[in-house]
Amino acid sequence: MEVQNGSITYLESRKLVKRWWGPWPAIANLVMIFAIFAVTWWIFQDPRGYMRMYTPYVGYMICRWMLILLIWVAYLFDFWPFKRSWLNKVHPVIKGVVLTAFSVLAMMLLIKGFFMGLLGQYGIAYFSPDRLHALGLTAFYAEEYSTEAIMMFAAIASWVAPSWVVACENAPWKKLEQPARGVTIAVVTFFMSTIIFFLTMHSHMAILFDPWQQYAAITPPYWEGFANTVSGNFHIAWIMSCTVTVWVYELIWERYPFNLIKTDWLRRTSSFFGIIAVALCMCFFIYYAQDLVWGETVRGTRREMAPDWRWLHVGETAIFWLVGVLALNFYGGNWPTKFSRPVNVFLRTVISLVIGGAVYVLYYRYAHLFLGTQKGFSHPQQFPMIPMIWLINIFLINQWFMDGWPGWKAVPKTEAELNEVESAVVAHDVSWTPSLAKGLAVGTAVGGAVYFGVINILPWITQNMQIIK
Amino acid sequence: MIDDNTTSRRNFIKGVATGLIGGTLAGMGFYSYTASAYSRLPKVVREQQDFGAVRSVKVTAISETSWFSNALIMEDIKKSGGLLVDQYTIGWGPFGNGKGAGKSSYEEGIANIKKMIPGDLGEAWALQEKISLHPDNPGGFSSLIEVEDLDGSKHKYLLDSGWSYKWMEQSFKREGIDQMLKSGEIEALVLSHEHYDHFWGLPVTMKYSNKLPMYIHNGFYKEGRQYIVDSGYKGTPIVVDKELTLIRPGMMLMKFDVPIICRVFGEISFAFNVKDKGLVIVSGCNHQGILQMTSTASRRLKYDKDQFHGLYGGLHISPFEDWDPKYDDLVISLGKWGFEKIGCNHCTGHLTARKFIKSGYPVVRGTARFGSSTPDYLGNGDTITFG
Repeated sequence: MEVQNGSITYLESRKLVKRWWGPWPAIANLVMIFAIFAVTWWIFQDPRGYMRMYTPYVGYMICRWMLILLIWVAYLFDFWPFKRSWLNKVHPVIKGVVLTAFSVLAMMLLIKGFFMGLLGQYGIAYFSPDRLHALGLTAFYAEEYSTEAIMMFAAIASWVAPSWVVACENAPWKKLEQPARGVTIAVVTFFMSTIIFFLTMHSHMAILFDPWQQYAAITPPYWEGFANTVSGNFHIAWIMSCTVTVWVYELIWERYPFNLIKTDWLRRTSSFFGIIAVALCMCFFIYYAQDLVWGETVRGTRREMAPDWRWLHVGETAIFWLVGVLALNFYGGNWPTKFSRPVNVFLRTVISLVIGGAVYVLYYRYAHLFLGTQKGFSHPQQFPMIPMIWLINIFLINQWFMDGWPGWKAVPKTEAELNEVESAVVAHDVSWTPSLAKGLAVGTAVGGAVYFGVINILPWITQNMQIIK
Repeated sequence: MIDDNTTSRRNFIKGVATGLIGGTLAGMGFYSYTASAYSRLPKVVREQQDFGAVRSVKVTAISETSWFSNALIMEDIKKSGGLLVDQYTIGWGPFGNGKGAGKSSYEEGIANIKKMIPGDLGEAWALQEKISLHPDNPGGFSSLIEVEDLDGSKHKYLLDSGWSYKWMEQSFKREGIDQMLKSGEIEALVLSHEHYDHFWGLPVTMKYSNKLPMYIHNGFYKEGRQYIVDSGYKGTPIVVDKELTLIRPGMMLMKFDVPIICRVFGEISFAFNVKDKGLVIVSGCNHQGILQMTSTASRRLKYDKDQFHGLYGGLHISPFEDWDPKYDDLVISLGKWGFEKIGCNHCTGHLTARKFIKSGYPVVRGTARFGSSTPDYLGNGDTITFG
């Protein structure tokens, strides 16, 4: 088969193989990743460190947009303008440094040039620190407000951009060469993100100012009654859940079950909206779980009893799961792989949830000893998404830009394996049979029972387990 | 498709695995955020402790002006690295070291002034004026609380000790606090939390009384505990480590374990049961949140008429005239708690006070004297009486 540049991406064209036997590759990579995390955290984010970008919103914006740029470079642009031959031959460390530097430069151009320079100066004042400062805000809050707005845009883009690639399979521009495909999808997803930003975050920004900017935005916002808050954190909750679900669906679910649908448009549409549906399930559950653990919210209060914080914490909790998902996929070989697809998917879901839960507990129990932050769930200026996304970014750089070095190396896939990539869009290993239907019915009933078991046991766990001492 | 025994079993398992995820998700999505799910939540049990009552509580705002320019204080915070930076490293007096924003430390700062405090506060602050950031900006928060028992006897307590030595000396003299401390009229000092504007003026209190009982939250960092010693305190601080600590009948300290900006942890606030009126809350900054305090109080304390009567203090909503939609949640919701008298100042924020007034809440206005900038607040020298 002749592989076209536009059909098989670099990530699809390579196969990562372990350099050593057993767990050593994973151990080596995780040691290196945590060392890089510690050093870069100190240089860029730590409130005791060098640049101290964890103000908090400056650092929050940076790590989120870095995530988007990594996705753009690897998924949307397929590493354009870097040639495939260069990607194949250069040492992973050099490649990692160059591609990361390229991503940072592109990110700075986007933040400083597009958001603060263009949009903030000539369109909407709250994107520009200079404009807000000139309007009377202190320099500090002028920067915090504008970076918050830019960060919120990134939250949406971090869902929509990869969703178009994963769920919609780059349609209808899949056959385009780069950079036409990347530019097209970036523009389309950016446009979608803009619309969603105005529908979800613009009202939040408008009520940051007194009086509420009611001639420019809908205030109070339409979600107030449903979410019990006027804060846009309600949208952060489901949007971050969408971001996490995209990667769950792509990596540990291997696009199951929607890849069983043979009709292209139906599979893509189902995938796109299916991701949203799964995310909403996760979102409402995590919110309710918090109410079971901490008690029902009191509107108007602050911290963990406030609805706005609980919605935010939905997104934060979901991100911990994403860490588990990525760790399992990147460094755990997406284990298990030996069973049928549905069984693999189920077991990986459970394992990644356990990893995510462990990271959650460890974070809240110990992270304040290392990150320059304070203990407690709900410091109003602390966002666990910052260190988690920072860590995820390093995961992605290691996996996408460095081919998993040092524990793994990239080797080209064989023709047969490339053919498998092409044909794997539709799965053929699960078919509708009476036994499958019976199993589905039994599984659904048990799943429902599991859910009710969990919500019954959560209050008991709370009473018998103390995460923060 | 033909389903022989083996494939039948395999397909069944595939179905079970898929159904398990699907069924769990269905429960999560269709049940979690419904009225039925919320009807399962346990009802809040009010285990109300009877802690007695007082006849009245009078609060005098000795100083509510913690700083005089938001722009300057935020400039210092911004240059130091933001809201999570350790307060002792920012470079404010009395811990300035002349090295600039974000480059100071408790040890270097105190070494410059240790020999001067609490005896020669003028000299100590004069030195800090040369080496600290914007030395004319600090003021401080401190309030005098006068409690009248049911038998008519009166008791005085000092809530917090402000920040600038210079400013707090002036403020104490203006309200006669220096003499009250000297004469032992003030029975205890309660430090609401470790923040610079409530705590760093401690040597001013120590200058006049260095043995009076002192209450602190158990979340004080080691620098804060050392500063108590270095300020000349000769007693042993009473470390509040329980949620409720009874000071006297009708007067309770409530402890909240909350992380706070500039690396501070925890706050303690007062709750009073005023006879025939109801509960009165007095706070330094109320970092825990007003409604967190009211909901805790309603669950844990027994008070007259089951009524929230009054509220006084820094309410920490928009201290830097910043804003967030969640603050509007408070402005919208506060009314349902039924407070009859609200005295706010300090870190409440002018914007919040204006929104409270606009919403029709019973905000007691001030006189805007002695450096206070708005009559929307209870300002320096103003008083409020509950009961």
